[in-house]
Amino acid sequence: MKKNYEVFEHTADIGLKVQGRSLKDLFRHAGSAIFALSCEKLHKAELKKSLILKEKADNLDELLVNWLNELLSLSAAKGLIFEKISIRKINEQQIEAEVLGTDISNYKVNTEIKAATYHQLKITRNKTGWQAQIILDV
Amino acid sequence: MSEIHLEKIDDYRWRIPKSYKPGMRVPGLIYADEKLLKDIHQDKAPEQVANVAFLPGIVDYSLAMPDIHWGYGFPIGGVAATDIEEGGVVSPGGVGFDINCGIRLIRTDLRYEDIKDKISDLVYALFNGVPAGVGSKGDIRVSPKEEKELLVKGAKWAVAQGYGTQEDLECTEENGAISGADPEAVSGRAYERGKAQSGTLGSGNHFLEVQVIDQLFDAELCDTFGLDLGQVTIMIHSGSRGFGYQVCEDYVKNMVHCLQKYNINVPDRQLACAPVDSPEGKAYLSAMRCAANYAWANRQCLMHLTRLAFEKVFASSWQKLGMFLIYDVAHNIAKIEKYNIKGKEKNLCVHRKGATRAFPPHHPALPERYKKTGQPVIIPGDMGRNSYLLTGTEKAVETFYSTCHGAGRVKSRTASTKSTNLNVLLKDLQSKGIIVKASGRGTIVEEAPSAYKDVNDVVNVVHNAGISRRVCRMRPVGVIKG
Repeated sequence: MKKNYEVFEHTADIGLKVQGRSLKDLFRHAGSAIFALSCEKLHKAELKKSLILKEKADNLDELLVNWLNELLSLSAAKGLIFEKISIRKINEQQIEAEVLGTDISNYKVNTEIKAATYHQLKITRNKTGWQAQIILDV
Repeated sequence: MSEIHLEKIDDYRWRIPKSYKPGMRVPGLIYADEKLLKDIHQDKAPEQVANVAFLPGIVDYSLAMPDIHWGYGFPIGGVAATDIEEGGVVSPGGVGFDINCGIRLIRTDLRYEDIKDKISDLVYALFNGVPAGVGSKGDIRVSPKEEKELLVKGAKWAVAQGYGTQEDLECTEENGAISGADPEAVSGRAYERGKAQSGTLGSGNHFLEVQVIDQLFDAELCDTFGLDLGQVTIMIHSGSRGFGYQVCEDYVKNMVHCLQKYNINVPDRQLACAPVDSPEGKAYLSAMRCAANYAWANRQCLMHLTRLAFEKVFASSWQKLGMFLIYDVAHNIAKIEKYNIKGKEKNLCVHRKGATRAFPPHHPALPERYKKTGQPVIIPGDMGRNSYLLTGTEKAVETFYSTCHGAGRVKSRTASTKSTNLNVLLKDLQSKGIIVKASGRGTIVEEAPSAYKDVNDVVNVVHNAGISRRVCRMRPVGVIKG
């Protein structure tokens, strides 16, 4: 399967480029990418917990940063890795999603991503869909 | 790659003129020599130095230490002081996510001969005794009620629990607890994220290292610190863990909206800020101080666990082993400090993002024992080369008494992983007498010595520029990584 994201070089942190055919895909792929980048699954485990996330923002850039930071923060606070992300509603100023998490003990976490940043953040749209570039603090 | 033309002031100082970018309120000033400048030009750090010069109220220069590298918002290795009276701002990005990431140096009476056959045992005991790794949890439990006390009392809380002594507090910046911490300014999520992480090292570039002093630069200062060639020291590098990340995140989210509210123009939203005297600025500083105190408590707990591990290996008490704290200092923090600006005493908000405070001799904030020497400044290098003990100097008033904080990265984590073979690296380190143990194999290659500048070059610059003074140098023998 083709990866929906790629990593670009940054001296201290991780640069992430994500794409999606729709805004919904873009946010879903970006959300999945941060967990794919930070950990690997050790063994099969049941999806343990379902959580509903709602984020609001003034614009799309803020919405993406808030969304990723909420996922990272919730993952760390609850000790869950979010394997399945279903976005129920999204526009440029709000997102509502259901995320399904598995206990972190089923994973080997290689990299701790502290947060998503605004530095060099870029979201663009063309004929094929949406692209985003974002730098993650590790 | 940076395109900025830097104007040479002298062999160790390079200016970015104010005219480089419309909107810069002051010039930029980078401390480096020709050799380090080549590395600095490789990434976007100089552009970030120029961006920081946009901050309202910034005084004199947007400063960068010789270990600077590309960060997000601020460069890592950046220093910016803002004048509170003149609408000076505080920026959470000028402190970073790992609030009060810092370093402590512990001396011992042990000599290399005493440990050389026990390094593996020591590394093993430390690795077992000190929780490390991503999201690591510790045995030091803190109840929700105690947590609020910890956020106000910092390392004093840890000492009250029996994890150290009064003397440890005297040898910690702010005596291990900065005043003005308000637990009410902290979100519930931050509490949740930092839960059970007290007394844990964390991951990434955090470490615990057993070292041996391999070079003395100032015999008199070494005598005062009780340090000599061949003596064993221990260095602990950690911060405020998930608690600090959440505080930063909460306030960046909030302060992005302050840019419009206070009509602030910055070229990067990660430089989001608010006037120090505004409700948002005050709330951030109250929460940041909680995270700073969390970190001081954490490093105090980590030192306690380190002492226990040594006691086990050497079957002796830590006091008998002479395991006393030299100093603990932050390198990611914003502090309100007094400076004389054009003949007037001013309260400045000094941001040190990957920079170390370096107070000179006789500074009122120093404990009695360091009044003559100046503040001990602890500079860790990479796991294969050296680390340093320096002291602050009066000349460093030009950097708001700040200096470098480490070697500084030159290679990204992915590039380092691609170019480093773990087994070759471990063998190479072993041949130099260095034993490394990490909870994740990935961390060792990401943190390979070749990913960093040579700390010897970085320290040469701060010493020769006169903003710190070399005391002695250490080499690693045992390394614990997250």
